[in-house]
Amino acid sequence: MVKSELVKRSPLRILEKSIHGGVGKGNIAVLASRKGVGKTACLVHIATDRLLRGGHVIHVSFAARVDHIVSWYEDIFEEIAKWKDVQSVADIHDETVKNRVIMNFNQDGLGIDKVLKSLGAMIGEGHFPADMVIFDGFNLQGRGELAAIKDFARATDVEVWFSASLKGEDPLFDERCIPVEFNDLVASIDVLVTLQFEGDHVRLQLAKDHDARNTAGLHLSLDPRTLLISQDGR
Amino acid sequence: MTTDATVRMRNIGISAHIDSGKTTLTERILYYCKKIHAIHEVHGKDGVGATMDSMELERERGITIASAATNVTWLDHPINIIDTPGHVDFTIEVERSLRVLDGAILVLSAVEGVQSQSITVDRQLKRYGVPRLAFVNKVDRTGASPFKVRDQLVEKLGLNAVLLQIPIGIEDRHQGIVDLVTMKAAYFDGDNGEVVRLEEIPSELRAEAETWRERMLDAVSMFSDELAEAFLAGEVTEELVHEAVRKGTISRELCPVFLGSAYKNKGVQLLLDAIVRYLPNPTERENIALDLDNEEKEVRLQADSSLPTVALAFKLEDGQYGQLTYIRVYQGAPKKGDELYNSRAQRKFKVGRLVRMHADHMEDIAESESGDIVALFGVECATGDTFCAPPLNYSMTSMYVPNPVISLAITPKDKKSSDNMGKALNRFTKEDPTFRSFVDPESNETIIQGMGELHLDVYIERMKREYKAEVETGKPQVAYREAISQKVEFDYTHKKQTGGAGQYGRIAGYIEPIDGKDYEFVNLIKGGVIPTEYIPACDKGFKKAIEKGTLIGFPVVGVRVTIDDGSSHPVDSSDMAFQLAAIGAFRSVYLKAKPQILEPIMRVAVEGPTEYQGNIFASINQRRGVILSTTEDGNFSRVEADVPLSEMFGYSTTLRSLTQGKAEFSMEFLKYGKVPTGISEELVRTFQDKNQKVVVR
Repeated sequence: MVKSELVKRSPLRILEKSIHGGVGKGNIAVLASRKGVGKTACLVHIATDRLLRGGHVIHVSFAARVDHIVSWYEDIFEEIAKWKDVQSVADIHDETVKNRVIMNFNQDGLGIDKVLKSLGAMIGEGHFPADMVIFDGFNLQGRGELAAIKDFARATDVEVWFSASLKGEDPLFDERCIPVEFNDLVASIDVLVTLQFEGDHVRLQLAKDHDARNTAGLHLSLDPRTLLISQDGR
Repeated sequence: MTTDATVRMRNIGISAHIDSGKTTLTERILYYCKKIHAIHEVHGKDGVGATMDSMELERERGITIASAATNVTWLDHPINIIDTPGHVDFTIEVERSLRVLDGAILVLSAVEGVQSQSITVDRQLKRYGVPRLAFVNKVDRTGASPFKVRDQLVEKLGLNAVLLQIPIGIEDRHQGIVDLVTMKAAYFDGDNGEVVRLEEIPSELRAEAETWRERMLDAVSMFSDELAEAFLAGEVTEELVHEAVRKGTISRELCPVFLGSAYKNKGVQLLLDAIVRYLPNPTERENIALDLDNEEKEVRLQADSSLPTVALAFKLEDGQYGQLTYIRVYQGAPKKGDELYNSRAQRKFKVGRLVRMHADHMEDIAESESGDIVALFGVECATGDTFCAPPLNYSMTSMYVPNPVISLAITPKDKKSSDNMGKALNRFTKEDPTFRSFVDPESNETIIQGMGELHLDVYIERMKREYKAEVETGKPQVAYREAISQKVEFDYTHKKQTGGAGQYGRIAGYIEPIDGKDYEFVNLIKGGVIPTEYIPACDKGFKKAIEKGTLIGFPVVGVRVTIDDGSSHPVDSSDMAFQLAAIGAFRSVYLKAKPQILEPIMRVAVEGPTEYQGNIFASINQRRGVILSTTEDGNFSRVEADVPLSEMFGYSTTLRSLTQGKAEFSMEFLKYGKVPTGISEELVRTFQDKNQKVVVR
């Protein structure tokens, strides 16, 4: 199988279709769930899919060590390559590495301004033509920070994906599948996807799609074995 | 028989980032062990310099280049200290030293913490499985944060780092150290801190010390059930803690952390105690040799003086009395007058003079101990050679030697320099396997090769200073490679009839790219169409052909040659005819196999204040670099990138001016990568122009 085919058959095309063509540049998508459900795996899959399509991705993390993030990418890439027998894997792999930068911050209580400033330096002075920025594990402090990120996304013409850990008591979600603690923020979010355990699977649910809310089921779940997003029944 | 002396012995190295105070620490260790009588500073005003920096050049630059072994004694324990170089361009020196160590002290600055080079050095320690202690130096400096350095050891190096001490005051209020095992405060009195005064812990530090001791015991009791039980019962003894720390350290699952300020004479004696207490003796490390008479079967060596000798020559030095060869004895105990066998040179020799090196003098000894580090006089050998007692024919497992990635043409300025340059190069190539030199048959120039700009610079300086050889240098040249990218068939006939015996040979087959190997030759000839006696000549011819690709004149790598047809002539065929046929066959189809140019790619780490990171990103981008990751920690950033070596020339100067000298970088060879089309065309054009000029002349 060649690369283009791999991209075409990716289950992420379903997500894209459901949200009418994708998140879109200058917009913010959020992946919300409790801790340890699989947000990082989903984000890395989404990022890898973009890299396979020739995109440039900045992965912002707040981990202790960068190599942990690198091994996430390696594992997910390996699974995708295994999924369909891909030709010239090594070349495709090298290309994805070239178009990906991991920016890790390991300082506690870091404000969003500092992170955005460094991102700006990478895109500006570093001439890195990013079209997607992944924020994994950033602790969002209210609407002001979200607005700053949105401004940044618009100014630099990037699509932003966020992971959000939900910490409250059950029920976590309201009747429209929106996380209760997101009530204030939901207006500033363009796409909201939630992750929830359902039997031995983790189900992806679309809670907000641009202007529409409580949209139809995605029929996507996270395969607990490969940690890839996959289509139900496949 | 393992002697008591072997069990008491420690072979240690001091590994560190440049400027973290390694030489000062070594100097203090020598002083407290009563090996030297006065303390000099590295950048000292007295012009004497620290003792371990034996070379004038190192003294001038404030860095240590060559590793000298020095013997000291602490509490009746002989300790051999191998001073390892601090600059990353000389990593082969570091690696060679690590090979002979049983334990190491990783020195870190309490201000800068874990830096790019600490990471490189740590990786090397891991590669050779060397147990280590960490010493957080410069606790007295402004901005010192020893607790943060411990966190960095955990986070950045993935070590199970546990504080065995806490400081009594930091920065200019640094007075002494609390030992969390004995729960005593140590102060260092006298002009040079030689008197260790133990007191009760100051009351304001008591609670903090209790907390850290609790944490330490918690981590350390993982290595001893006895300690774990005693911990729960509240009956912890010092011996139990020592035993558990020692076990954890030797198994490399624990990295005990010590602190102090070598410059202010604080903490060094406690570190020496820790060296003899926690680091392994020569019998506690596994050392393997290969039996060359038995298909390189692995043999476990034992630090037992009654067994036949096996030793490794790890360092050569040219002294006023001739060549001095440092050896590490892995098994047996060589004596003066013994006959030993050099398994590489396949030559026997007699041990004439056997000496032990001290910082300021050498001592003649009649016999060595098993596990010891000693030096031999007047033995003709190269670094990395194995010496064993006949009839043993062992080789110590080969040391990892990277290929040189940069070369430089040098021309002596006058006749005298020319003679001396020859001597110097002969010496340097013996000392350092990553440094090579040869005469280019085409240009007749002497070419030196090494691991980086600074590496070659230092040898040029040494030529001037030690050998009075002044040379002019050309532009540094990257060691490119050529590689084919597709399979092509060949069918080539070499025929020559110009009176007398002719030459005839026909070879057919194909060449194809392979991974992981430079060259492979496959013979599929059936029915003797090429007589068997000419097959080696074919192989030789292809090997010759790949020495220089026709694209830009660099070696061709990753090629498999298969021959499956051909023909010969009963009179005109010869070795020479088939060799030339092979060369002709390869050249005839080489360009059809779509050769590409490969260049060395370096893994570069740049560190500096975050405010300059935009400049750093830009500088990497301009150098065709690929930024892999960035890590921001407070106001400090680390950028990791893969950059072609050809773009790294002069980077230190650029980086200095971009960041007001506040950033630094280190680099290591990573792999060979394809040169982008535009640049590759340019290289081909330059090569063709040069060749044309030669023809015109």
